[in-house]
Amino acid sequence: MVTSRIDHKWGMVVDLDRCNGCQACVIACQVENNIPINDKNAFLQNRAYEWIRVERYWEGEYPNIKARFIPVMCQHCQDAPCEPVCPVFATYHNDEGLNVQIYNRCVGTRYCINNCPYQVRFFNYWHPNWPERMQNQLNPDVTVRTRGITEKCTFCIQRIRRGQLQVERRGGGELNDATLKSGNHMPACVQACPTNALTFGDQNDVHSPVQPYFEDVNRYNIHHEKERKTRGYRVLEEMNTRPNVIYLKKVDPNLDSSGGHHG
Amino acid sequence: MKLTRRNFLAWAGLSAIGAVACDVIQDEELSLQSPRSLPEDLVKGRDNWYATLGRQATDGEGVIVRVMEGRAKKIQGNPKYPVNQGKQSVRSEVGLQTLYHPDRLSGPMLRTGPRGSGQYRSIQWEPEALDILRRELRANSQGMVLITEPLRGTLGMIADRFTSSLGGRHLGFEALDDTTYRSAIKRVFDQDRLPDFDIGNANYVISFGADFLSTWKGSTRLATAYGEFRQGNRRQTQGSRGYLVHVDPRFSLTAANADEWLPIRPGMEGYLALSLAYVIISEGMQAEGVDVDALTNGQGAAALAAFAPEQIAARLGIPEQLHEGKSAAEKIRDLANNFSHHGPAIALGGDSAGAHTNGQFNLMAIYALNYLVGSLGSGGGVRFNPGSPLAMLPDAARMGSTADWATVASDIRSGVTRLVLVHDANPVHGLPDAVGFQSAVSVGDPFVVSFSSFMDETTIMADLILPDRNFLEDWGDDVPEPGPGYEVIGMQQPVVNPLSDLDPRSFGDILLSMAQEMGQESELPFANVEAALKACVEGLYATGRGTSGEAGSADELWNLMLRQGGWWDESTSGPTPSAPNGLLSDIAAQGREPGYAGSGDFYLLPFSHNTLLDGRHAHIPWMQGLPDPVTTVTWQTWVELNSHTAEAMGLREGDVVSVGTDAGSITGVLYPNPALPPNVVAVPLGQGRTSGSDYATGGDPRESSNVLDILSASHLTENGTLAWAGHRASVRATGASLKVAKFEGIFPAREIGHTAGEAVIRVTNH
Repeated sequence: MVTSRIDHKWGMVVDLDRCNGCQACVIACQVENNIPINDKNAFLQNRAYEWIRVERYWEGEYPNIKARFIPVMCQHCQDAPCEPVCPVFATYHNDEGLNVQIYNRCVGTRYCINNCPYQVRFFNYWHPNWPERMQNQLNPDVTVRTRGITEKCTFCIQRIRRGQLQVERRGGGELNDATLKSGNHMPACVQACPTNALTFGDQNDVHSPVQPYFEDVNRYNIHHEKERKTRGYRVLEEMNTRPNVIYLKKVDPNLDSSGGHHG
Repeated sequence: MKLTRRNFLAWAGLSAIGAVACDVIQDEELSLQSPRSLPEDLVKGRDNWYATLGRQATDGEGVIVRVMEGRAKKIQGNPKYPVNQGKQSVRSEVGLQTLYHPDRLSGPMLRTGPRGSGQYRSIQWEPEALDILRRELRANSQGMVLITEPLRGTLGMIADRFTSSLGGRHLGFEALDDTTYRSAIKRVFDQDRLPDFDIGNANYVISFGADFLSTWKGSTRLATAYGEFRQGNRRQTQGSRGYLVHVDPRFSLTAANADEWLPIRPGMEGYLALSLAYVIISEGMQAEGVDVDALTNGQGAAALAAFAPEQIAARLGIPEQLHEGKSAAEKIRDLANNFSHHGPAIALGGDSAGAHTNGQFNLMAIYALNYLVGSLGSGGGVRFNPGSPLAMLPDAARMGSTADWATVASDIRSGVTRLVLVHDANPVHGLPDAVGFQSAVSVGDPFVVSFSSFMDETTIMADLILPDRNFLEDWGDDVPEPGPGYEVIGMQQPVVNPLSDLDPRSFGDILLSMAQEMGQESELPFANVEAALKACVEGLYATGRGTSGEAGSADELWNLMLRQGGWWDESTSGPTPSAPNGLLSDIAAQGREPGYAGSGDFYLLPFSHNTLLDGRHAHIPWMQGLPDPVTTVTWQTWVELNSHTAEAMGLREGDVVSVGTDAGSITGVLYPNPALPPNVVAVPLGQGRTSGSDYATGGDPRESSNVLDILSASHLTENGTLAWAGHRASVRATGASLKVAKFEGIFPAREIGHTAGEAVIRVTNH
């Protein structure tokens, strides 16, 4: 049994004011997690796989128009709508706050996909296919998912596990912000993000950069949102799924109090 | 070693001991395994992370590569490398798919069919392939041309010396080259190296045309700075947030992220910049210590009177709705006021702003603004980079302008150039047809040698193909440009061996061995690139500065550089230029409006694709399948028109439209973009490849076009580079329609509570 592991509760903070929509997180995720190549048909049939995606919203009319970006990945909800509907317990909540998908339990009912309000679960309609030589690149830490099962963002659990093993192998210490960074154990999207819009860490660790945001948003729920000290909010907060991902509001200095634009 | 029975037994014994030794470690590890652990935990084997350089990005990122069991698995930014500080661009992972690409050329090939037919037979390196190269060099090296990607550092030095010593020349090629930008920097700041912009510490940035968050020079570094600019530590303590104004006739990714986007008539950026300068000087808003008299030859604001807002506002084409109820002139005055009062402030420009018949004027006017607000060399301003720490290493790539390529084409045609060497450059695809490069090769019939690993439009014209090693398999270095403001040399090492079914050879090694066989040993006295790098490291060690101070010998320095990814000296800094006398009055005297090639209802704005750039990554499925950030289109050439304009023309999304100029027409699928100015048609580069991998060429020809094909080769900037943003085009329907392969709409926002967008993205004004 493992005795040295401490109680983690992983969480991510996404600063929409830093995000510039460049897609570096998307490709980093695809490379790390053996995500099948999105060929043209995948887009034509609305079946592209992106565990993390950058959504683009238009706001306003030319020339007073804004494009706003939001990276969306599995929100690792604490009350996840996908979990109770799985008839085979392929998806469950682990004790580190992660919403976990066990591929070899999944029988492909797609109930979870249907029930996920964030639409971050993907069904393998095809057998994943890489040209033979490209298979050399596949990450050995990540299962290649077969046709007929559901997959989604794992917060790069393989990196977290490697981090835990490394810390234990060194005989003590804990997996915190510094050890996550120094060992390349941050989720691939967080590591890649050129603007540092994504931050990952342990909500239970008071020294983690994500902790103050979680504390603030947890303390003031949606009914007391105005009292929050930070820009933090959860997406579709009114559904009370309590995601382990917190977004920080985009700042637009030209926004007037009515929500419209001047300028 | 010969494998005898005795040897075999000895090795078997050793392996058994090794297995026992490893077993001890594994036992320990197994005891730590949790019964709850996922199957992923059971992967055995140690991964190694090697520091090297990401050579596919032209601005030279430092990367670390994860290698497991001899295979490269992941490329990430090198946290120690000063330029990109552990971050990476969207294009960084390309190296993995080029390394393991199914269409990678496996070994030397000799043409057997007519030129361009793609008929080749495989040959051996020794003696046949190298003999042919040797023979051609002996016969035709006088007048030869070597065309490469932009090369700096040791490989740049080898290429330069190789060609100059044998009577040829070396030119770097990029489809949308930076010649005009460089020339503006030279004239305004008297600097040969590109500057670094300290956006992270700035309060106010006006960017003219430069898509610095997507494809412009040094975009990764600038994106990191942008994050700080918005919400960095300093922001959080002082409470202020950087304000970005982007002036651009096209709604680029940078425009999408700006606090204010000012669409302007293409090519009028310089007028707006001088107008800001006029307001700053006439109202005395320049920074303390700025000698306006010196800048204007003693004329003061009068030198720029022709650019007063009231004189030019109407010609800029800034939409009235952006004026906030004021006149256009008042809007410009507001902008000047904010720019000069919210320092540190930076003005930067590039891309389409410099790609006009008045492109150099535009960029000079833009960069001169930095003198007025005192942002030269200061925190939150424009910083210059010192040169290369070693005189032997070029710190700037030798690039060809469109005029140079026209000369090369005519030399090939007339037989002055009998030998063309190409490495990782694709001028046939990247030059407008009108330059005539491809036809020159057909007519002049020179011997063409390509060192490319992939078939492309230029390589298919080659007589001899000698595939180079991938950058993950080869030695190299780089003097990054733009640098971080101090001296840096990045180190590139082979992190994997080529797969057994591939037989590439290092381009640099071949040039070195050929030079020596041709009697140029004094010019290039290195056995191979690795030896040349070692000579550099010895030179660096002798300086005793920076990283060298941490090493006890040149060998130690070599190891240290391999480990951390390079050498740097943070104590160095670039020069702080002072303004040339009469700079602003000189620029004002050069001021003229842009000319547009052709006629047609729309301004045609080609732009570099976020992932494919000019098409060099079109064979990489990851890059093809990544949505464009603004339109979310993948795998296709799309044509952007304003949504209302498209509707008025009876066009719908997916309609195949033809975009025509005087030089020809191309087709693409229509993407109605609500943010594009109504008089603009924007088309990305990147597709339209005709030779090579199926990933690049397999598309429907109606949705895969190269917009460079319809540009005029004679429409140039002041310094002979293609004025690619200064064309007029017409758009018409072809009657056909295709589905747009886009990401948008795959996940429709669900309406819960409020309106869809509001619930998902929340915005605040403080």
